[in-house]
Amino acid sequence: MESTKSPTTSLDSIAHCKICTLSCYLLFFVCMVLYCLSALLYCCTIVLSTLCLCAPWSLEERCFVSLCTLYIAEMTIKTTLTLTLTLIYLCVPVSAPELPILERRNWLIHLHYIRKDYETCKAIIKEQLQETQGMCEYAVYVQALILRLEGKIQQSLELFQSCAILNPTSSDNLKQVARSLFLLGKHKAAIEVYNEAARLNQKDWEISHNLGVCYIYTKDFKSAEEQLNLALQLNKHDMTYMMLGKIYLLEGDTEKAIEIYKKAVEFSSENTELLTTLGLLYMQLGKYQKAFEHLGNALTYDPNNYKAILAAGSMMQTHGDFDVAMNKYRVAAFTVPESPPLWNNIGMCFFGKKKYVAAISCLKRANYLSPFDWKILYNLGLVHLTMQQYASAFHFLSAAINLQPRMGELYMLLAVALTNLDDVDNARRSYEQAIQLDTSNPLVNLNFAVLLYNQGDKKAALQQYQEMEKKVNMLVESNSNTEFDPELIEMAQKMGAALQAGENLFWSKPGKESKNSQHSSSNKAASSQQPLGTNQALGQAMSSAAGYSKSIRLATEPEPDVESAPSPPTEPPGEAEAEDDVEEAVEPPKAKEKKKSKPKAVAE
Amino acid sequence: MSSVPMEMKDGAVSSSKWLDAHYDPVANLYTFSSCIALADLHGDGENKLVVGDLGTGASNMKLKVYRGTGLLSENTLLDLPTGLVSFLMDQHEPRTPAIAVASGPFIYIYKNLRPYFKFTLPTLEVNPLEQDVWSQAREDMIDPMTLKEMLEGIRDKAEIPLSVRSLRFLMLEPQDMEPYVNLHKQQPIRRQTVITCIGTLKKNMADEDAVSCLVIGTESQEVYILDPEAFTILSKMSLPSVPTLMDVTGQFDVEFRITIACRNGNIYILRRDSPKPKYCIELSSHPVGLVRMGKNVVVGCAQETLHGYTQKGKKLWTTYLPAPVTTMAVLDLPTRGFQAVLVALASCEVHVYRDKNLVSTIKTPDVVTSICFGRYGREDGTLIMTTKGGGLIVKILKRTAVFDERDSAPGPPIAQSIRLNVPKKTKLYVDQTMRERENAVAMHRAFQMDLSRMRLAAARAYVKALESSLTPMSASLTEPLKMNAVVQGLGPTFKLTLNIQNTAASRPVMNLAISFLYDENLYSMKTAFFKIPLLVPGLNYPIDTFVECLSDKGISDIIKVFVLREGKSAPLLTAHINMPVSEGLALN
Repeated sequence: MESTKSPTTSLDSIAHCKICTLSCYLLFFVCMVLYCLSALLYCCTIVLSTLCLCAPWSLEERCFVSLCTLYIAEMTIKTTLTLTLTLIYLCVPVSAPELPILERRNWLIHLHYIRKDYETCKAIIKEQLQETQGMCEYAVYVQALILRLEGKIQQSLELFQSCAILNPTSSDNLKQVARSLFLLGKHKAAIEVYNEAARLNQKDWEISHNLGVCYIYTKDFKSAEEQLNLALQLNKHDMTYMMLGKIYLLEGDTEKAIEIYKKAVEFSSENTELLTTLGLLYMQLGKYQKAFEHLGNALTYDPNNYKAILAAGSMMQTHGDFDVAMNKYRVAAFTVPESPPLWNNIGMCFFGKKKYVAAISCLKRANYLSPFDWKILYNLGLVHLTMQQYASAFHFLSAAINLQPRMGELYMLLAVALTNLDDVDNARRSYEQAIQLDTSNPLVNLNFAVLLYNQGDKKAALQQYQEMEKKVNMLVESNSNTEFDPELIEMAQKMGAALQAGENLFWSKPGKESKNSQHSSSNKAASSQQPLGTNQALGQAMSSAAGYSKSIRLATEPEPDVESAPSPPTEPPGEAEAEDDVEEAVEPPKAKEKKKSKPKAVAE
Repeated sequence: MSSVPMEMKDGAVSSSKWLDAHYDPVANLYTFSSCIALADLHGDGENKLVVGDLGTGASNMKLKVYRGTGLLSENTLLDLPTGLVSFLMDQHEPRTPAIAVASGPFIYIYKNLRPYFKFTLPTLEVNPLEQDVWSQAREDMIDPMTLKEMLEGIRDKAEIPLSVRSLRFLMLEPQDMEPYVNLHKQQPIRRQTVITCIGTLKKNMADEDAVSCLVIGTESQEVYILDPEAFTILSKMSLPSVPTLMDVTGQFDVEFRITIACRNGNIYILRRDSPKPKYCIELSSHPVGLVRMGKNVVVGCAQETLHGYTQKGKKLWTTYLPAPVTTMAVLDLPTRGFQAVLVALASCEVHVYRDKNLVSTIKTPDVVTSICFGRYGREDGTLIMTTKGGGLIVKILKRTAVFDERDSAPGPPIAQSIRLNVPKKTKLYVDQTMRERENAVAMHRAFQMDLSRMRLAAARAYVKALESSLTPMSASLTEPLKMNAVVQGLGPTFKLTLNIQNTAASRPVMNLAISFLYDENLYSMKTAFFKIPLLVPGLNYPIDTFVECLSDKGISDIIKVFVLREGKSAPLLTAHINMPVSEGLALN
């Protein structure tokens, strides 16, 4: 009942099929007619031959004529047969074989490709290319993509180029050619091909984005910026924001980079990578509140984010929140158990909790994992100083100095160690070097002054004391919120009293104020020496996390003149003096304080 | 005694929301989510599973119908099925749906599992220039070479691509061209395309059992909507790329929305009365699954992400998946008002997501390649999956199963409670620390003293070595030489190879000799002194000589090699060769 309603379209659709069948019928018909004619002729000749037999001729004549007619009849039937056969032979190939559609398996190839089932995909492609003799553009395209994923970039490039020949109007093919060139490191060639692709397809963010990336590699930041902004106008993608931010960072324009990352975070608020990068940038600028906010966000979305954990943890450490930081570090230690900065930070956490032995074992592990990291060595030296293991401290500090010969604090710590090792001459030289290198830390001068005072060189001590005051003033001027470690202040006051420096009053005032403020916000980070300590932890986090760490920058600096530096590790100790610490009755507490004040600095 | 099994049972029961209804690991099904449908084919209220099986990928393609756990029928298909849908094509009673199987350029319609109609895609427009050229060829006005040149010219410029015939012709060798042209020139040129995806769209009513139109996407980047009865093209829309996945909602006569994922990694949203896409979502990787949840679109990407978008293309959320997506489907339970997305992963798991929250996980014995949720038999919540190895899994959602609405983001990760691996403090360590504290100064001084002594000793040894040329590297500026020696053999005869190299930039070294110094009781050498040829800079000169070990006591000694310069008594180089013990004699 339903089939009676035959759809009209079916006729249309098979109409063209009928044309070929029609010609077939026609041919068959012609053959049949020919065959019938020849049969008729045959019959006629047989009749003729029998008639001939009855003809009134001689026997030979009759036989000859009838045989002739029979022969003619046979010939005709043979010729007609061959004729029909040749006709058929000639006509059949006219209905040429149906050529398979080139694209008929494209969907299957695509389906397997996006499911990452590359083995099956390759098998289908091979089959398809055999069938089409390598003309199926999409099969070649996907094969090239797979080859590229397998690392055979040169081969993939050749295949993409052949795709571009098969279909020169497709910007996709050019895009992939350019991408392969880019991966091969031929950035200039890639730019050219991308430009060509851009001519074919004006509004493709991918082309603009990749052009931008190419320009970054050719160090043409201006064009790169332009292209990436164009890409953002066309379509917003996290990747583009990332790249744009990177450009600004490479140009050293942190403010602008932050601007970009802010926009990126607005667009894609759950991208932990963006959040972490923004957080680290804020941290670099010292905007800890904002940094913490973003890092915290990143951690909410991905509690296992290693970079964010390290950065956030180091900030918590700065605030003395060691337990929380440790909690976070445990997560990171599970995912990345062999990270030197992580173990460094864990070590400093233990240090802050006054678990010195654990701190040392963690720091030693960090040092084992990264033996040339001076920050770890610095911290190790510090912890050993605290543990009164001066000989060990000396070794770690001198190793750190060998790796990083331009940091005043290192020389100062070394001097402290040397003082305790009774090597006053070298301690003094070390202090001198520290003062030369350091311009802002009053602690260096104070410690030096203490040493000089203990040595009885009051004049020099006074000079150092004045130096220290200058630095303090400078710090207060540059940033009125600067707070000083109470121990530093106390020590300075005692020193001032001992030296009978007239400026005593001047110093005590800010000291007291700062003391109060310190009490009011005991767990807030600040103080002039904070950078000394915090930078260790923070710098660590940075170095691994953001990739623009201080250590890298420092490493690129020209080698300082090592010869001129009194590098204690290479020098033999001064003549062993049998004398004990010549300290006056007032001094012992000072000396102790002096030692303590430094470790604290780093602990925070 | 029974506590352990009880516990296990409890664990299994509480963890699973599904009943394992059927699992056939050797069902031999090679199919995709697009080729699976559940339909009440016989109008008996019992849904059957219709599968378009790709067979081996080249042959043995079948249309299989399952009922319960058994195969009900099998129809042979001529080509690979691209997609399969069941739809109601008319209002006739009984209301049994037809099956449309898209395959190549055709749609085969089956009614009552019998072939009913074949729809062929309209042919594409042929480039008029190409047509001209071929008609000229037919009249024998141009020879194959000219034809080739002209076709190449057309290929490089024209907007309409060449037909298969011309493309194939261009790939031919010159001697094959003539017969090819003769073979094909009489036929009209045709350009055909193939179907890449298929869907259904209700015609004019939103009811469950309303008549539906077929929506097809083609390789020629077009979308057609077909009339369900006459199979005429009701509407034609074009896309910027080839469609791969589609989702259709709405009614043709009122308003509809076709969401199409394309091969260029974009998703386009088509609406009624617009021949071009209305909205576009640009993804950063290829979409693998596309599912509509209410008014939102959920896309699973090849980059192991799951995105949610509004129907206007605004991004709502992103979830990161633990493994690549293989396929996706919607889990719709209208009776309970529950909708979720089933995401099959390459890690042999199927995740159930409600928006961005993971509400349940199903472990499967193999990687799931196609997935479908719906009414099968008489059971509403049935999950049908086929695996990469060809298995068929049927699971039934328990009626008591509850999907927790809670945000499944776990609080702190488990790792947070794992103790840090920090070694304990040992007595030895404490003792050492105490010792250092007490004797720091002495230790330091002793160390520095020893360090200086060692440095001094090293420097002296170095100077001595330099002075007496004991090193295998020559320090002199006129003869910068390098030598190393290799001993081969087990004994008693050893082969001694000296590699000498002139490390100067350009100057050759002449007049050199080599002499050996050894214990004559232990070793013998045919020539213990010989001259060496001129040494060209940079080249390595291997010089072989043989040493015989005379001792059978298993002892060995050092052989010293000197490189000498004529007329000088001090050697330029000295090498000490530690001879191995002769094993040959030990055997004797």
